[in-house]
Amino acid sequence: MKRVLLLLVSCILVFGIMSACTKGNESASNKNDGQTSPTSSASPSAGSGPDPNATVIVAIRGSVLSIDPANHRDRTTESVLRNLYDPLVILAPDGTIIPQIAESWENPSPTEWIFHIRKGIKFHDGSDLTAKDVKFTFDRILNENAMAGETSPRKGLMGPVESVDMLDDYTVRFNLSEPWPIMLRMLPHQQILPKDYIERVGDPAWREKPIGSGPYKFVSAKLDERIVLERFDDYFEGAPKIKNLVFDVIPEASSRIAALQAGEVHRITGVSPDLVPLLEKDPNIVVKTSEGTRVTMIEMNVTKPPFDDVRVRRAMNHAINMDLIVNTILGGYATRTNGPMLDSFFAANKDLKPYEYNPEKAKQLLAEAGYPNGFQVVIDTHATFKDVAEAVASQLRDIGIDASARVWDVGVLRPMLLNGERMMSIDDWGASARDPFGFLDAKLLTKDRGNYSQYSNPRVDELLKAGMSEMDTAKREQLYYEAQQIIYDDAPWVFGYVMQEIEAGVKGLENWGPSPDGMLYMPDVTLTK
Amino acid sequence: MRSIKILERILVAIPIMLGVALIVFFFMRLTPGDPVDMMMGNAGNVTQEEIDNIRSELGLDQPLHVQLVDYVKGLLRGDLGTSYKKKEAVSTLIAETIGATVELALAAALFALLVGIPIGVYSAVKQNSWIDRLGMGGAFFGISVPPFWLGIVLILIFSVNLGWFPVKGRLDFDVHIQTITGLYLVDSLITLNWKGFTNALSHLVLPAITLGAAMAAIIARVVRSSMLEALSMDYISLARAKGLSEWRVVIQHALRNALIPTVTVAGLEVGAILGGNMLVETVFGWPGIGRLVVEGIFNRDYPLVQGVVMLYAVIFVLVNLIVDIIYTFVNPRIRM
Repeated sequence: MKRVLLLLVSCILVFGIMSACTKGNESASNKNDGQTSPTSSASPSAGSGPDPNATVIVAIRGSVLSIDPANHRDRTTESVLRNLYDPLVILAPDGTIIPQIAESWENPSPTEWIFHIRKGIKFHDGSDLTAKDVKFTFDRILNENAMAGETSPRKGLMGPVESVDMLDDYTVRFNLSEPWPIMLRMLPHQQILPKDYIERVGDPAWREKPIGSGPYKFVSAKLDERIVLERFDDYFEGAPKIKNLVFDVIPEASSRIAALQAGEVHRITGVSPDLVPLLEKDPNIVVKTSEGTRVTMIEMNVTKPPFDDVRVRRAMNHAINMDLIVNTILGGYATRTNGPMLDSFFAANKDLKPYEYNPEKAKQLLAEAGYPNGFQVVIDTHATFKDVAEAVASQLRDIGIDASARVWDVGVLRPMLLNGERMMSIDDWGASARDPFGFLDAKLLTKDRGNYSQYSNPRVDELLKAGMSEMDTAKREQLYYEAQQIIYDDAPWVFGYVMQEIEAGVKGLENWGPSPDGMLYMPDVTLTK
Repeated sequence: MRSIKILERILVAIPIMLGVALIVFFFMRLTPGDPVDMMMGNAGNVTQEEIDNIRSELGLDQPLHVQLVDYVKGLLRGDLGTSYKKKEAVSTLIAETIGATVELALAAALFALLVGIPIGVYSAVKQNSWIDRLGMGGAFFGISVPPFWLGIVLILIFSVNLGWFPVKGRLDFDVHIQTITGLYLVDSLITLNWKGFTNALSHLVLPAITLGAAMAAIIARVVRSSMLEALSMDYISLARAKGLSEWRVVIQHALRNALIPTVTVAGLEVGAILGGNMLVETVFGWPGIGRLVVEGIFNRDYPLVQGVVMLYAVIFVLVNLIVDIIYTFVNPRIRM
């Protein structure tokens, strides 16, 4: 009896493995002709047009934290949910703010914003999106315990917004406690939800089967594993041209690339520059880049010798060959910043020219500052910047500084940097609004939340604070120009670079590409082979 | 008699679990890095007020001993707490992922036994032949190679170049299996879902081999050495003298005795498989407990890590108990 059972089990397994193998073979060859063939026999003329029934699979790095756009503070989650829900306005690839659900807006006073909602937008259940849904969405974020008894973790993204009033069915007014120049730039982060539906079924049931107004409808989700979406035919900007959009969680970078090469996924994000040459060799893969928004810099602790001397800090800027680092270690997939910001950011001071690479001048400055024989320094960083840190250390050693690099866990290093316990560190800071607000103030305002250099300059504090509430664009630019000039001269950082966003996709995938804000919004994507 | 002994062993496990709970609790808090900082630190536009609110919501503003008492109280009620980042009960998160992990671990162990035992037996019978050398060379490789590396190499060969097996996940997106036990192979068999079964199996092959490789190697070596010892015994000479076929001598007489140390080692290796699954699950995008806890560690998600480590501890204790019970069956001379 036992033997019969054993035999049976082994038979099942052997057959299973055999057919699994064959199955794998079939799907692999299918994938090479692109998952799109079913129509080709039916309509021979169709030949190589985009497949309206295609499924596009995107590999993402981490789990989606929540299907509720008000219940997380995570970029990956937001980038995926972007396909289910729409915000009032969106960030265009050129960095400007363009209408989405709001068709126009006005700013009658510095603390009042009025938005006119586009008519004819439908939620996935067919109901109309109106001003009451917009008010509901923002009430849910702004009010304490408004989200099924919890407070939304996105409240902080709403700055001084106090309340939202509904003026008529298609008009809302945002009331602010103080002027907030980056209001429009922060709105793309808030996605509009259906009031009636959520109130009818309740938050928990809605999270099981969410609806929004985005280009894709929810089908199923295992947040750690896979999100499956389906085309929404009544999308106000036109129905998507594929049937399903799927997001698969693959945490490991090499596995994401393998999955793309094997044709299992069609688009991957977060490709590191050193893997681009490998991908470019593959004729079935296309690599795309766009300018990023995370600014990388080398921060020096200005409160302690030797970096308390501005000559030493300037010497560092002359001693480090940032162009070489960008072109070799980063493979050219980065843009050097001349001063603290990228030229394409709002209010970037274009008069600033990058510090010239000049080791002799650096040595001379060090000598003037009383360090003719250099000093000892450890460059602290985390794994992302290890190679850059080692290159920097080696360049500093060339001018006689005893420099070495040390890699830490992010969570360990951050508190030490904030306390001013370290000397020199390499890190980056997100500036997804492409605006000095939230970036220069966080990094350089006295004792602010990302001020690792311990920099403190009363005039800069004054300018940055004024910039945070000045509503006149031209005046605001002037404030930031001056601040950047002072920061440039004070050199609390070795000014660094901004990495490009690098993504890869299969050939045949069209109308996609990395976006400056990292969203994986794909309303027009097509798949052809 | 046996059942009283088993009960005794289970009771002994309670202080062990309590000790584990304390160690994890303090180790997580001794690890530098702050959970709230990990949640909000890189988000930008975070006010101190928001941070303080989250800290008090999570109970992290309480003194350590208060947190500990709350945690132990919860444990006694069977409540593992709520994940900071995922905002779901840890027990729910574990329940959602344990099926994937158990299926992978069982498949890996099965692979290890099916490969390790025959190689060990054959190497012992044909000692010093080229097959023996090849087998033991392979075993040496299997022990030495890091699972992370092996996984990527297998993916490159069998998924990217040959296209035989998928790279990641448990199922293709258009294949559905009704979840009953959480083990997809079992569920698809119960529901006679042949397509689901082959799809799940094709996803399982590479991760199972990666995870089971080290265990297969160790089993092969243990079986070989204990077989060599068994084959040199007098009772083997006697069996041969009786004119039994070589096959029966090897399998029924020698292997039976050689299996005793193998059972011990196999039990210990289940622990190694659990430890190794964090890497393997990350490489293969396998949605199991290993990946869950890796994410938890990076985020300093205390309740999540504590819950999963407690689970690992329970499994270790249980596996050891089961090994001891199996012992008494394999060798009736041994009492518990």
